[in-house]
Amino acid sequence: MSEEVLYSEKFTIRGNDYERGGEVAARIKSVMKELGIAPDITRRLAIANFEAEMNVIMYADEAVLEFSVLPEAVRVVLEDRGQGIPNIELAMQEGWSTATPEMRRRGFGAGLGLPNIKRNSDEFAIESAVGVGTTLRYLIRLG
Amino acid sequence: MSTRGHSIEIDATECIGCVDCCKACPTKAIRVKDSLAVVIPELCIDCGACIRACRYHAARALTTPTSDLKRFKHTVALPSLTLYAQFGKDVLPAQVLQGLTEIGFDSHYDLSWMCEMLGGATDAYLAECEGPWPKISVTCPAIVRLVQIRYPDMIPNLLPIESARELAAKLLRKKLGMRLGLAEDEIGVFFITPCSAIVNSIVAPVGLEQSYLDGALSISEVYGALRQAIKKPGKESPAEEEVSPSGLLWAMAGGEIAGMRNRNTMTVRGVRDVEYVFDHIEAGKFQSVDFIEAYICPDGCVSGQLVVEGRYAAQRNIQQLCNRLGTQSHVKEEKVRSMLREHFFDLEGQVKARSIRPIARDLRAAIARKREEQAVLDRLPKKDCAACGAPTCATLAEDVMRGNASVEDCVFVKLATLEQKLEQKKEG
Repeated sequence: MSEEVLYSEKFTIRGNDYERGGEVAARIKSVMKELGIAPDITRRLAIANFEAEMNVIMYADEAVLEFSVLPEAVRVVLEDRGQGIPNIELAMQEGWSTATPEMRRRGFGAGLGLPNIKRNSDEFAIESAVGVGTTLRYLIRLG
Repeated sequence: MSTRGHSIEIDATECIGCVDCCKACPTKAIRVKDSLAVVIPELCIDCGACIRACRYHAARALTTPTSDLKRFKHTVALPSLTLYAQFGKDVLPAQVLQGLTEIGFDSHYDLSWMCEMLGGATDAYLAECEGPWPKISVTCPAIVRLVQIRYPDMIPNLLPIESARELAAKLLRKKLGMRLGLAEDEIGVFFITPCSAIVNSIVAPVGLEQSYLDGALSISEVYGALRQAIKKPGKESPAEEEVSPSGLLWAMAGGEIAGMRNRNTMTVRGVRDVEYVFDHIEAGKFQSVDFIEAYICPDGCVSGQLVVEGRYAAQRNIQQLCNRLGTQSHVKEEKVRSMLREHFFDLEGQVKARSIRPIARDLRAAIARKREEQAVLDRLPKKDCAACGAPTCATLAEDVMRGNASVEDCVFVKLATLEQKLEQKKEG
């Protein structure tokens, strides 16, 4: 079944590019505001995007983020090339993003904001292969 | 008083149509058409960046004409604390206040105590408030307007506590009315303002049906006469007026939180930094901060556009005045808490979003318009030269999409079109 995409825009995010951290999230937020998308949806997607973008900058080599406006939802697909996440279940645990220093030393790196992304979306999916990369899809329904 | 959207006026005889103000405006509210800068009222937050940027003094704040003072049986000057910082470290608040009665006001009122009380009220409010965090001060009216226009989903973050100047005016009106046997509308309370944003907050208040103030004169307007009155030779200096040192600090950025018990606070100064922090708050950051005082001007009120003394000297003056005053305080915490419970400090009304005209009624149409805009932008040079009268190429593209400008307003596009025509002529 082919889906109808009303609008889409792709962004490349580079690992370690702290200087531009948050730019993609800000750009998408301003597009959503211009399109007249409801403030709470804009806000939720902005929060999710910011977390996702910073994850790439902190942990991945490079990623392509595709933002799409569908008739009934806004969606983001983020594919990165990078180390991947060995234990998704652990990374998805609430509180993991505010990990203590001891937890950080256990090998995952601190503060994957994944639970925060999930909390702010209506649909959320993650696939990851160690040494290859991670793909995130999240979606917020309009209205 | 007529209702108007904003309080900035461009003097057509002085404006030469350069694009300084248009480029300086943080909300892109100015266009230059036919060598004249024009303010788009629904985008203007009255921050005064244009007044600061204009080299020709064509951009001005629409302050109250002094003839308005005659409408009242009794007039009160309510000066911004910044006024105390204008005359050097040796001129005390008491002299400034006395000077105000000598230049035409019937009485004066010092704002510092109300500021100190507000600090206490903010502490008490934060202790019982349940978020959303962080709470943002409403002292700077340009900040409130920026939130209404640009960050409407942050309206619940605004501290629902009225500004010190409105609360003081409300109190004064009642007290004086009783003491002088006058009706409240026979008393005129005038703010002496450091900035254009406060001027507009009186004309078009936010979170308040009608302002308790009757108008505002700028510090720079009263400065000359006031200075003369203060420095008149052979004058007896008045008894030292008791002012609140921690209240005085509200004249500058950092002052609002300096006197608070809650230390989980932050100061943000200047429009660029405010945008940076607010963008982050929108993205869910800074939720661990309880309270943010934010100013559109770089150093708070001492750096308003309508002041005379430079902002560094003014801050030094305030600091020295505070050192001299020590740590006196008469504000009782319990009293402030009970006033808070009695809703004395509450914002009376709701702060409403001021949404900018949507580009279309539904999502599909909006996306179509957005594509049109992108197509226009693709033709523009992206030099942001502003020669077309819009501050950036993206703004021109938006204006074209909204039907308020033509792509031919761009000199580069026009040149390309002319060259093309010339080429065709040669070939033809």
